[in-house]
Amino acid sequence: MILNGRCISPGSARGEVVKLDEPLSFLGGVDGSTGEIRVGNGGNVAGKVLVFPKGKGSTVGSFVMYDLMVHGRQPVAVINESAETIVATGAVISSIPMVDLIPTVDVFEDGDIVSVDADTGTVEVEGVELREAVSSALVDNGRVLMLSRPATSRSFPGVWSLVSGKIEDGEAPVDASRREIMEETGIEVGSPDGTMDPVYVREGTTLWKVFPFLYRVSGAEPVLNDENEGFEWVPVDAVSDRDTVKGTGRVLGTLLG
Amino acid sequence: MDLTRSEEAILHGEEGEGRQKAMELVTALGKIYGAEDLIDITSAHLSGASYKTIGDGGLKYLEDMVAGGATVTVPSTLNPVGMDRTRWREMHIPEEFAEKQLRIIDLYGRMGIRTTCSCTPYIGPNVPSFGDHVAWAESSALSFVNSYIGARTNREGGPGALAAAILGKTANYGLHLDENRRPTVVIDAEIDGSVFSYSLLGQAVGMAIGGGVPYFRGISPEVEEAKTLSAAMAASGSVALYHAEGVTPEAGSHDVSELETIHIGPAELEAAYDKLNRTDDVQLIAIGCPHLTVKEMHQIASFLKGKRKVNRDVEIWFCTSAEVRDQCPEDVRIMEEFGPVLADTCMVVAPIEGTFERTGTNSAKAGNYLPTLCSQKAMCRDIAKLMEVVM
Repeated sequence: MILNGRCISPGSARGEVVKLDEPLSFLGGVDGSTGEIRVGNGGNVAGKVLVFPKGKGSTVGSFVMYDLMVHGRQPVAVINESAETIVATGAVISSIPMVDLIPTVDVFEDGDIVSVDADTGTVEVEGVELREAVSSALVDNGRVLMLSRPATSRSFPGVWSLVSGKIEDGEAPVDASRREIMEETGIEVGSPDGTMDPVYVREGTTLWKVFPFLYRVSGAEPVLNDENEGFEWVPVDAVSDRDTVKGTGRVLGTLLG
Repeated sequence: MDLTRSEEAILHGEEGEGRQKAMELVTALGKIYGAEDLIDITSAHLSGASYKTIGDGGLKYLEDMVAGGATVTVPSTLNPVGMDRTRWREMHIPEEFAEKQLRIIDLYGRMGIRTTCSCTPYIGPNVPSFGDHVAWAESSALSFVNSYIGARTNREGGPGALAAAILGKTANYGLHLDENRRPTVVIDAEIDGSVFSYSLLGQAVGMAIGGGVPYFRGISPEVEEAKTLSAAMAASGSVALYHAEGVTPEAGSHDVSELETIHIGPAELEAAYDKLNRTDDVQLIAIGCPHLTVKEMHQIASFLKGKRKVNRDVEIWFCTSAEVRDQCPEDVRIMEEFGPVLADTCMVVAPIEGTFERTGTNSAKAGNYLPTLCSQKAMCRDIAKLMEVVM
């Protein structure tokens, strides 16, 4: 899978991903002489492709990156969702290739092997395939329809999900969402009552690009096909108590927020 | 970004690695902020001068820049460093720190940067003109030249400003463009007009609006007051440009009739004062943030003349530039009875945390940074009230 971002600091590199989910201050967050990460789950940046949403904190962070380079403990590349001055400065002065405008760090997992070509702003995540899907929240008076996926399901087995499925070749996401709702629940819906930017969910070597939709319904009664083993109308604020497909709570929050 | 052929050539390394690196940095920052092209600058002012703030990584960076033959192509000045370059022992500075600090100053000098190390270069060696595009770091100084002089700069960082100084160009975005210099809010100010009241006003405005371009009514700052106000708003908020009705050069060219008005009066100043005062007992009194002007040196010397420092346990530092210190030897003689008149440095970028825990100042800017950058409990009062502690 190849992602298109933007060049911040030129050069190219290949390496293993070390990912942080939170903004990073190099000052205090990374030891300039060893490369040891002092926040999140720890680890070491040396020789790795360092992925985090964006920089923060003291401008001295740029010189911490330089210090890493002086000690030979720098990351081979940096990937951000959005670059800011401190990390961009540090990457350029330390000759570390850097790309930003990657949709989300959720694309990556620790241990992924990625090739960064910062000159063209491209990032290849080796062995990972991008697939597109829809996920629809049917909401009836504060309750959302959750489907129980069988343990034998090929993706996300044994957890609760919204009404979801793959987009077929050439199909528009909104059409796919209506088709999946009809196939999996027998419910006919009209135009969606809400949507949002796609979210990315990693499942092993698959990266799902998921287009979420909201449909408000009233008194609808699902008739399941064989893709799911059960359903329940769950109060929206109780969804987080369930074992769900990754990101379900966040999607619901945005669609209903 | 839209680069000229000669700029492209620099980016491709045709003028050497040092200039290529500088161009990579200026264009990277330009991309982040949506600049469409670069713009010629007439001067630069650089931060990242104290060993305390840049550390060994910064020192090595400067060594590598010098080894690569980097030189600036526009007049450039440097921010205060971590110590007075000759009187550092009086500041309790360790030998190793002093040695590295002197190396840093030397490295900047070798790149052609004037190493009068001051946060008020606009008073002496580096004075932009109205409409000049410049690349300045140091939040208080860049706000002063944007606002009081009408020059144009963004909030540059240390390496970014150095890269711009090397190229004589910076990325054209933000406050270089007319549309971003318009006022965003009117501040109806009610203050007594003392320099200290400008510190509290700046603190209160920063607390009230965070960022933006305030348009002041009811103030008439001269250089010293504008210096103080600029510093305070840039520290308590991120204000890099303001206008003052009837005072600053761009104020008259804006229609503010549709803007929200915020009143800043005694209640807001008191809240600002409370925020800055966290101790009644100090070990150090440090005055001169931003650096003292000649006029302020005269005022302080006149106030101190004939008085005596009784409390010997409290140290007093006066911070200014070497040029100002040289201009008023008689004032310096009087002030030295109370404590050293230090050049090139200040209480924020010096490693005072190795010696002191509680520091008094008359500056809202220092009042903001003493707790965060120097681990101090801060007191912030006007000079007369500060001096009561030792008299």
